[in-house]
Amino acid sequence: MASRRVAITGLGIISALGLDLAQNWTALCAGRSGIAPLQVVDGAGVGLKVLNGAQVRDFDPLKHFEGGKDAQLDRFAQFSVVAAREAFRDSGIELSPEMRLRSAVICGSAVGGQASIEHGFEDLWVQGRGRVHPLTIPKTMANAGASHISMDLGLAGPVYTVSTACSSANHAIGQAFRLVRDGEAELAVTGGSEAIFTVGMLKAWEAMRVIAPDTCRPFSKDRRGMILGEGGAMMILEPLEAAQARGARIYAEICGMGMTSDAHHLTQPTVDGPARAMKGALREAAMMPEQVGYINAHGTGTAGNDPVETRAIREVFGAHADKLAVSSTKSMHGHALGAAGALEAIATVLALHHGILPPTANFTEPDPECDLDYIPNRARAVQVQAALSNSFAFGGLNAVVAFRAFKP
Amino acid sequence: MADAVAEKVIATLATVKRIPAENITINTNLQEMGIDSLDVFTLLFELENAFKISIPDDDVRSIKTVNDIVEGVKKILAASPPDPSVGSASPAV
Repeated sequence: MASRRVAITGLGIISALGLDLAQNWTALCAGRSGIAPLQVVDGAGVGLKVLNGAQVRDFDPLKHFEGGKDAQLDRFAQFSVVAAREAFRDSGIELSPEMRLRSAVICGSAVGGQASIEHGFEDLWVQGRGRVHPLTIPKTMANAGASHISMDLGLAGPVYTVSTACSSANHAIGQAFRLVRDGEAELAVTGGSEAIFTVGMLKAWEAMRVIAPDTCRPFSKDRRGMILGEGGAMMILEPLEAAQARGARIYAEICGMGMTSDAHHLTQPTVDGPARAMKGALREAAMMPEQVGYINAHGTGTAGNDPVETRAIREVFGAHADKLAVSSTKSMHGHALGAAGALEAIATVLALHHGILPPTANFTEPDPECDLDYIPNRARAVQVQAALSNSFAFGGLNAVVAFRAFKP
Repeated sequence: MADAVAEKVIATLATVKRIPAENITINTNLQEMGIDSLDVFTLLFELENAFKISIPDDDVRSIKTVNDIVEGVKKILAASPPDPSVGSASPAV
């Protein structure tokens, strides 16, 4: 079976930091957070305590979907398609009919279109309407995002969705990488999307007592929890040789992924599981720990994650951990659950491409338990050679992706 | 002569397809205006809300033009008065 180098040739993103790639990168470099008081979520009647989030603002579905199509897609699937279209345009690729049959779409989403079914439940039990919208089923299904991308761009190879809570996008990206590397697909659209700002889902998160009342301050001593986010991000993967042959711009190489499970606890992370996932990614990428210059951390800003992730990084990198730059961009785009790994992959890939490391925003005070270089508040101009992007999920599922700067 | 049922059907159709009502006439062919099977589900749902009626599945299969819908709705309205138990719909979002 072929084992090919895989290039990233197109990027697309919509998040609280902006409606396209340029807006997102500008915000990431400026250390500007998209976290703000939630809009259009009326939780007053149920005493909603989650007041802040990283919401996509000023998104008008009618600008992207014509003829009533917008009503056929849950917001999460709209994000999928918008991000995929941008990535596809950005790649400049033109596909032959044969290539379309060999093109994959592998997406991550933690909850898919559950907002649509919540809307239906509200119609039934709150409004007493006795009926729900007829497209509730196809809008709710978790694979709707991947399916709509497939239909929209005419990609007819393997298409599926991976749902592993907060690791969904990283698992998806890893699967897509391996399909292209191994010759199972000649092109892949991969990433994740999520849209979770409904009263029901916010109340469910509120009950877990992990949401910060103010903002997200990963690795900072005064951190008070995570801040939820939404959005979608997609990348185009192709064999490096094919990308070079068509003269494509190559942002970076994707070169490995590591997957492990803690086999321990639903919500309590371990050091071992994440550490083994990072080692697995390095192994597959044939990368020495010393070659890695940057880690886009899972960095949720919770009491539980940040010290454990810090220890896991120390275990994997040993003395080199003190030379690593680590940041959590969740401080800016929030924790977009099944889309998180995709938003962060784009931050990581652009960091390798532009030689600028995005910071950990909202950082106020060092924590003795979190003793790495977290790039506090200000982006740093450093060209690193390789980077990891970490995602760890409820359920103890860890997925780490390895990227390398591309040198022609 | 103004036909209230036809006007309401056309207005509902225009909302579902996000197009101006002026672009639709009583003779418009649904397929030609790009109404697919998913649009039909949404359209029937919105018509049931608009007219407070229940449209049986069997009545749906022969619909081809706007006029077919208007005649179908009139038939249902004539057979039974509006059903108040059919609540107003939440709009398609």
